[in-house]
Amino acid sequence: MVQGLVQLLLFQALGEVASRFMLPLMPGPVLGLVLLVAYLMVSKSIPANMGLVAQGLLDNLGLLFVPAAVGVVLYLPLLQSNWLALSLVLCLSVMVTIGTTALVLKLLAHRLEK
Amino acid sequence: MTPMPPISEIWVYLSGSPLLALFLTLGAYFIGTTVYQKSNRSSLANPVLIAVILVAGVIQWIGMPYKTYFEGAQFVHFLLGTATVSLAIPIYKAMDTLKARVWILLPGLVVGSATSVISAVSLAYALKLDPALVGGLYAKSVTAPIAMGIAERLHTSPTLTAIYAVVTGILGAILGRFVLDALKIKAWWQRGFAMGLAAHGIGTSRAFSVSAEAGTYASLAMGLNGVMSAVLIPVLIQPF
Repeated sequence: MVQGLVQLLLFQALGEVASRFMLPLMPGPVLGLVLLVAYLMVSKSIPANMGLVAQGLLDNLGLLFVPAAVGVVLYLPLLQSNWLALSLVLCLSVMVTIGTTALVLKLLAHRLEK
Repeated sequence: MTPMPPISEIWVYLSGSPLLALFLTLGAYFIGTTVYQKSNRSSLANPVLIAVILVAGVIQWIGMPYKTYFEGAQFVHFLLGTATVSLAIPIYKAMDTLKARVWILLPGLVVGSATSVISAVSLAYALKLDPALVGGLYAKSVTAPIAMGIAERLHTSPTLTAIYAVVTGILGAILGRFVLDALKIKAWWQRGFAMGLAAHGIGTSRAFSVSAEAGTYASLAMGLNGVMSAVLIPVLIQPF
């Protein structure tokens, strides 16, 4: 388990360095993710330990953003006075996003897969 | 035998150590996952939402400032970066799926990713949402660990981003099928990809519960949209 964690932290650190010195607008962990995908594509296999630790983290992903999300207590008055507009924005935006994405796929599939 | 210290002293000691915040966070999340399992994995019984409501309620009740809570819970928070890196593994596993339809999926990804940001920000302006609440909308369709990373880089609130992402995921998981049915989208892979892109992990769970094919494409779309948004959002929000 420790070995897998070390490997993931290594890619995270590489990502942080790449973010700091080359692409400051990209979050370090996302660059670490990209580097790890590239590494896996070259090596063509997932190290067993790494797979195990990654699965453990991904299975409990929700837990990890509870501490930040609890910060919502600081926004309660602002959210209360804007709840209607905010609910509409979130509802409509997710519906438009799902619809648009699916339509693009359907249109292209119709053209390219026939 | 030393006399038992008064309960208030024990309380002062406990509330000052990270233990209480960690216990609260893990305990509330455990209750959340239990309720989620008992509800037959209903999108409405989202474990994160339940945990946030419980923790927020308790810290308000005992009068613990959020800052103190976060100092203790930051050990959990730190793992977000490592979890983000871990997302490489499902993306790598779905590589063959991507290659088979790359010229359909990539345009869908770019258009979908941009639509999420542009629709949210323009609706927010049209409906006169308080400007302080707008920044959190940029990455709301992105899986929360990446969304919060993007928010930090853009100096908008990671807290609002996380809350919007969870709510967006739940709304997408519930409303998605009505939109897809209305537009007569029948292919499972198209339905799944749209759900994963717009409603990340929560939409992906929902997609897996109806079809394995939809779930695979949803999981791919969620990972790809994380990376795409990290590139696209800083470019898109320049004019605002």
